[in-house]
Amino acid sequence: MRDRRAVVICNDIATQVNPAEGDASELWLTTGDLTRATRLELKPQGVCLDEQCFPLPDSLNDAQFIRNDAGTTFFNLTAFARLLRQSVARENGPEISAWYFGARQDQRQELESCKAPDFTLPDVSGKMHSLSDFRGKKVFLVTWASW
Amino acid sequence: MAEDTRGIQDAGPWMTATALPMDAPVMSPPPEVRTPLTHTALIDAEHVVSRLYNMINVPTAVWINEQGRIVRPNETAYVDNRLKYIHNVEAEPYIAALRDWVEKGDKSEYVFGEDRLKERLAPQDPNLGLAAAEFGLGQYLYKAGHLPEAIAHFKEAQRLNPDSWNYKRQAWLLSDSKRDYGTTFREEVAKLAGKRYYPARDLPGERP
Repeated sequence: MRDRRAVVICNDIATQVNPAEGDASELWLTTGDLTRATRLELKPQGVCLDEQCFPLPDSLNDAQFIRNDAGTTFFNLTAFARLLRQSVARENGPEISAWYFGARQDQRQELESCKAPDFTLPDVSGKMHSLSDFRGKKVFLVTWASW
Repeated sequence: MAEDTRGIQDAGPWMTATALPMDAPVMSPPPEVRTPLTHTALIDAEHVVSRLYNMINVPTAVWINEQGRIVRPNETAYVDNRLKYIHNVEAEPYIAALRDWVEKGDKSEYVFGEDRLKERLAPQDPNLGLAAAEFGLGQYLYKAGHLPEAIAHFKEAQRLNPDSWNYKRQAWLLSDSKRDYGTTFREEVAKLAGKRYYPARDLPGERP
């Protein structure tokens, strides 16, 4: 029997999780796995990422998002992704189970505001640089590839 | 590119984000032949910049002003003619436009107005977000040693965003492209039959 562990990739960081058993098309995570994999936390005001909180609509049945199994609280990350119109890709083969959580709709719409999306990447020495480090200067951002 | 920037160096920082194949060792030329970098050069193994800015090929550039706003969106950005024999794109008009922006800032005629920017940065097809997720999953699976699974997701990314040469070129490099995708980079370029490999630049005399 295949190990039911799965990998969640969020913000390009891969985290091993132990999802709840059940419908393989839905990803139910413990609150601990949820935070480790995505930095999301369940709070009274909603599902929070750092200072940004996404309230769960009153009109939706809470059971869509939260359930309690033998004293353990699980959160349905795939249902939450649908709520936020977040792109999700899934691999559910015999060798590996993996979920890739991509950009939310609000993130994809950032470009429409003409604001340059920030990012942080390493230089050839491993030192990290952010686009926002260059605020106050013109930036000519050009991409190349080794292929 | 550093040796061709000349006056463009005065613009302040410019950043190159370079996508590398995931199994490529970081190779540096020996110290005696290295040219000191005159700009910030970053390594973007996960194609973060390409994803955030909806870039579909390289080289692509974006102009960002002092307030962190895009003033000229994704565009083919050759700053010299070393590859002109392949793509027949002349670098000088683009360099001239870039210098004009360096000098005049938001008053440059090459800076896009609000309407043109919004048109170019319009809401993207939802399939593109899913394509990016499929591509990201393919990358993870490849790194984790699951090539067949990765190929399936790379193919799905290409199906959802067929305009992205980045997805194709990255995937084709990671295995035998003829065996796994039924094609090669050269064959796909040949299929263009002389049609532009890159979108036409939005410059006087070259407007699409």
